[in-house]
Amino acid sequence: MAGSGHAPLRGGDSTILEVEDLTVEFRVGRRDVVHAVSGISFDVLEGETLGIVGESGCGKSTVARSIVRLNEIAGGSVRYLDHDLAALSGAALRSLRPDLQMIFQDPISSLNPRRKVREVIAEGLVIWGDGQGVWSRDRIDELMETVGIDPEFGDRRVHQFSGGQAQRIGIARALALDPKVLICDEPVSALDVSVQAQILNLLEDMKQRYGLTLVFISHDLSVVKNVSDRIIVMYLGKACEIGDADLLYEQPRHPYTRALLASIPQPAPTVDESEGDISGEIPSPVSPPGGCRFRTRCPYVSAVCISDEPEMQQVGDSDHYVACHHPVVR
Amino acid sequence: MTFTLEQGEMLGIVGESGSGKSVTAKALMNLLPRTAEIDGRVRFDGEDVRALAAAGSRHFWGVRMTMVFQDPMTSLNPVKKCGEQIAETLRYHLGHGRVAAMKAATDLLEQVGVPEPGRRVNQYPHQLSGGLRQRVVIAMALACEPDLLIADEPTTAVDVTVQKRILDLLDSLRKERGMSMILITHDLGVARGRCDDVAVMYAGRIVERSSTETLFDRSRHPYTDALVRSIPRIEQPSHARLDPIPGRPPELIDPPVQCAFAPRCRYAQADCLESVPPTEGVGESHEFACHHPANTPRGREALANNVAAGVTAAGLQISYRKTR
Amino acid sequence: MKTLGRPFWIAVGWLMLLTVLAVFASWLPLEDPHEIGAAEARLGPSSSHLFGTDALGRDVFARTIFGARISLLVGLLAIAFGMLVGGGLGIVAGYFRGVTDQVISFCFFTLLSFPALVLALLITATIDRNQWTVSLTLGILSIASVGRLSRANTIVFAEREFVQAARVLGADSTRIITHELLPNVMIPMGALALLGMGIAIVAEGSLAFLGLSVEGDAVSWGKSIVDGSQARDLENNPNVALFPIGVMFLTVLALNYAGDRVREYFDVRETAF
Repeated sequence: MAGSGHAPLRGGDSTILEVEDLTVEFRVGRRDVVHAVSGISFDVLEGETLGIVGESGCGKSTVARSIVRLNEIAGGSVRYLDHDLAALSGAALRSLRPDLQMIFQDPISSLNPRRKVREVIAEGLVIWGDGQGVWSRDRIDELMETVGIDPEFGDRRVHQFSGGQAQRIGIARALALDPKVLICDEPVSALDVSVQAQILNLLEDMKQRYGLTLVFISHDLSVVKNVSDRIIVMYLGKACEIGDADLLYEQPRHPYTRALLASIPQPAPTVDESEGDISGEIPSPVSPPGGCRFRTRCPYVSAVCISDEPEMQQVGDSDHYVACHHPVVR
Repeated sequence: MTFTLEQGEMLGIVGESGSGKSVTAKALMNLLPRTAEIDGRVRFDGEDVRALAAAGSRHFWGVRMTMVFQDPMTSLNPVKKCGEQIAETLRYHLGHGRVAAMKAATDLLEQVGVPEPGRRVNQYPHQLSGGLRQRVVIAMALACEPDLLIADEPTTAVDVTVQKRILDLLDSLRKERGMSMILITHDLGVARGRCDDVAVMYAGRIVERSSTETLFDRSRHPYTDALVRSIPRIEQPSHARLDPIPGRPPELIDPPVQCAFAPRCRYAQADCLESVPPTEGVGESHEFACHHPANTPRGREALANNVAAGVTAAGLQISYRKTR
Repeated sequence: MKTLGRPFWIAVGWLMLLTVLAVFASWLPLEDPHEIGAAEARLGPSSSHLFGTDALGRDVFARTIFGARISLLVGLLAIAFGMLVGGGLGIVAGYFRGVTDQVISFCFFTLLSFPALVLALLITATIDRNQWTVSLTLGILSIASVGRLSRANTIVFAEREFVQAARVLGADSTRIITHELLPNVMIPMGALALLGMGIAIVAEGSLAFLGLSVEGDAVSWGKSIVDGSQARDLENNPNVALFPIGVMFLTVLALNYAGDRVREYFDVRETAF
């Protein structure tokens, strides 16, 4: 698999975020380098929700964290409007922080246990000079109402809240700065099934209300489809398929996308359940296979998959791109 | 709670965190701490399991009834090789010799689909991937050819493609050996796709139990009904509005005498707040504990009343506006 | 609901009582702790001399109370200094990691591998030994251990998502350290400070045996114990050494117990239910 190439970049005035050839590497031990993300390119239009889906270790969270610069970027660019976030640091980077906010996977761990809920939500406003005046308190209470937390509980500490409530607080904290882009890194995977839908609906409401652009990371194919306009499927640090959410699930072209859709307990109707039986283990990101990264497990593998890395190619003239030498057509 | 399990059957126990599904499994496995008070009886093949526990029977758990946990690392000793750990079970319970046990361990790893079993027996758990580790744990559980395998969230910590392989493996092993299984999961999809019967737990009780098909197509308990509706489905178009269950699961410390789901239930009537609904249809193929079951005239009437009033007897507002 | 428990309050009560007595020692109706021959030497405990008198006829009770001034002060100042320098360096090392961490950790290791007693000898032998310099000496000795613990605690919290969340909000390093890390690291460090104070008090006693505690006629528990520790005194008038030892023992016990309870009490539950 694969994924190099800029074909999926749409360009245009409404692009709010453009990631080009993003590469992220981590050193482990003395010599080894983990190739977490290797040259991924995509863009996000204003008001759009981009979903990134893949299994653990595919680099989806690293992409999310790179956008808000929580890890070092080894190569490529992350453009937000006119700024290349990858090239910025220090005060210049910090000044753009309010625009790009993030929601974390573990809602409890993402809130400081020693601070009151109201302080946690107000933190962004305090940092950016709103002070702690009366106006601010009203704003915090309003935010709490918006996300469905009774402002009466503003003086409580985090451990008195359930996971779902804590995630609501995390959302309020991110919204306090009136961000343009909200990065959601597995925001519902730590929550109970009956609470997941509440948070997904809340995110959708907030998106409408504040005109947000969302980047939504999840390993859950159904959840990603529910929230996204456009979806990227990732495998071992590369993108294998990008496209309109409905289209991608209706006509999955990449063998790996098909395998994922066939593996879930209630397989998607567009694939055959046997396509989920991919063999072998996911290779180590320390020494990923050359050529197509999925070739070690792909049922359609051929010589060209070993020698050449497939480029992203458009499927027909629709918003659907696949990086595969042998895309599946059914 | 009461349930029975036939030989060779797969029973799913579905519930959210804190619903008591893992406690149930531990009670069956005699793994609860001494502070736990256990009432009632567990009969296994006609024998009273708790009498066996009292008698200090060593070769029951792990031999005839065994368990696989969510996190394989909790069941594996990090400083012992995988093969040795499986062999140890065989030597302790079945009295195998050292060499025979190691040979059997290698065979078991092969059966559960671990590639290169000859090499894996000499590896330590941390050298294996999560999926392989879970297979080693399953091999260990199967070592003594148990009659009943309890799997507590066996695939929660692994990816979907690995999950499919492990569930396929458990399925085929069950069929080959006529083994019964209890699959504990929070994932409705897994229960629906793999189990013959499903029991739904809420706040420490089984609120509904029936064959899988009936449960998902004709659910009677409003909790089951709401749970099925709240989950995003892959065949829905993107941005489909979800139908969440309001509120959150109750705490189990000093619960009031009422239906535990009443505060979150769209069907709740006055009687739901006054008494715990008894389980209807005990011993029949479909049992549920609800005063106003969904998809019945009684339930429809209750729902219609609540919708007309805009609020349930428990004070839950039914409208499109969010309540706090 | 977690409570600190009655024994905790007894421990705190003891420390409070001792502090009050020490602070107001000059105004209390006590014998002069310094006056030689004020009473008959080597008296056993009696109503007029609660703890008896020492070889020079000084009231042991008065010396124990006045000794508490120096001992508690030295304990407090030493650990305060250690916390300020070691704790601060530990947080910086744990938060920034990388080269900063390597340099600071190297300093800690160097300090730890230097024999503590030799270091104490070096410092105290070259300067005037008053309560300030003795505190400073013990404070320097505590830097490395306090620092390493503070570093370890910081690392645990620095990896948590709430620190990353603060960074995404735009908090700079100073704010993250003061508002996110410090409130969390302070709890275990506060508990450690109580334990450390006990250790410093005992360490002062050890210095006294080497003749390296405070100079002149200033009294400390260590010096009182040394005064009563000649073989002849231990045999015939054990009260001279045993009473200050007992008071020191109870104080250190109280500090350790209180420290332990504080740590347990503030052990925040991370999960909701």
